[in-house]
Amino acid sequence: MAKVRPKKHAPHTDMTAMTDVAFLLLTFFIMTATFKSNDAEITTPSSISQIKVPDDDIMVISIDKAGKVFFGVDAKPVRAAMLENIGQSKGITFTETEKAKFALQSSFGFPLNQLKPWLNMSKEQMPNVKQPGIPVDSTGASELADWVYAARKANSQLRIALKGDNLSKFPVFKDVLSNLQSQNINKFNLITGSEQAPAGYTND
Amino acid sequence: MAAIEESGGGGKGDGKVRGKKMSTRVDMTPMVDLGFLLITFFMLATTMSKPTSMSLAVPDKTDKEDQEKTEPLKASKVLTLFMGSNDDVYYLDGVAADDDKAEASLKTVRYGFDLRSVIFASQKRINAANPKDEKGNDPFVVVIKPTPVSTYKNMVDVLDEMAITKSKRYALVESLTDSEKKLLGDKIVPADQ
Repeated sequence: MAKVRPKKHAPHTDMTAMTDVAFLLLTFFIMTATFKSNDAEITTPSSISQIKVPDDDIMVISIDKAGKVFFGVDAKPVRAAMLENIGQSKGITFTETEKAKFALQSSFGFPLNQLKPWLNMSKEQMPNVKQPGIPVDSTGASELADWVYAARKANSQLRIALKGDNLSKFPVFKDVLSNLQSQNINKFNLITGSEQAPAGYTND
Repeated sequence: MAAIEESGGGGKGDGKVRGKKMSTRVDMTPMVDLGFLLITFFMLATTMSKPTSMSLAVPDKTDKEDQEKTEPLKASKVLTLFMGSNDDVYYLDGVAADDDKAEASLKTVRYGFDLRSVIFASQKRINAANPKDEKGNDPFVVVIKPTPVSTYKNMVDVLDEMAITKSKRYALVESLTDSEKKLLGDKIVPADQ
């Protein structure tokens, strides 16, 4: 007699739940994605400060570990206006293409006289050029103060953030500071990583 | 949803020969694969920890005629921190650099817990020995002196210690006096010179 057996099924996992979770996470990560900018590799020191860096209306002065200074403004229209301002004050005229290209750069580190050749390079070449940094030397020609002035002229709401590398030496910071002070800027933010406050510390 | 199947196929009793129904089951494995691949990519490409910032206010550089004249600090109320190379801090606790005892009392400490203990000890001692000033401020003052061999990280670390130890009165002084230079000697000379 043939026994009645239940019909054999191939083992089949229901993937619905997994798909749901996977796409939920995917959606989350796409929404929160702010991509790492690869302009200058800077490792900031950490502090116990809880203040978040503002997202908009901010200019960032970066100091890399070799002591080179970079300058960046967040919004594209401000970047273009800033370039025009500095061109006016220094007697340099930038073409529309140069302005458009400049507006795409999140930060740059060129002395004024090397800026034009850089902006005339092709888009593929531009990231491969070694940037010499903006001159900040208090004794020689210093251009950072001019850039800060041009940026503030373009958008007066700009806040100033300083982002220094762990290994950058103090004298560079001092030069940047004197550049800012010459523009009568005495209050700014230092961008740091976050760190746990030591035990027993109370926030008041 | 992964296994969407049409159930049955109507009654069989009508005797008609029908083509075998194709299963509408969809294999979702490639979709899940793709999903997780994208998740991995976005996880690696994003920066999750948003940087924080500490605000720093420096005194106005422009000299004003009407500026309030302040009396010079008494050395006994001051803890002076010199930021040296290789993450060393030299400190003078309540002693001026031109004092005879300065050489003997110059000590070295590391950043982090050790430096914090030094600041706390000095803060306690000075605040106990001196009365509060007329505005109700603690008498304890820290003078931070970065040297050319110190790094930006050192400065942020010291400013952070000021926040942790709640030392409200501190000053970042860039210039070293002659007696301080003599005291620190070759400790603050850059290696390549």
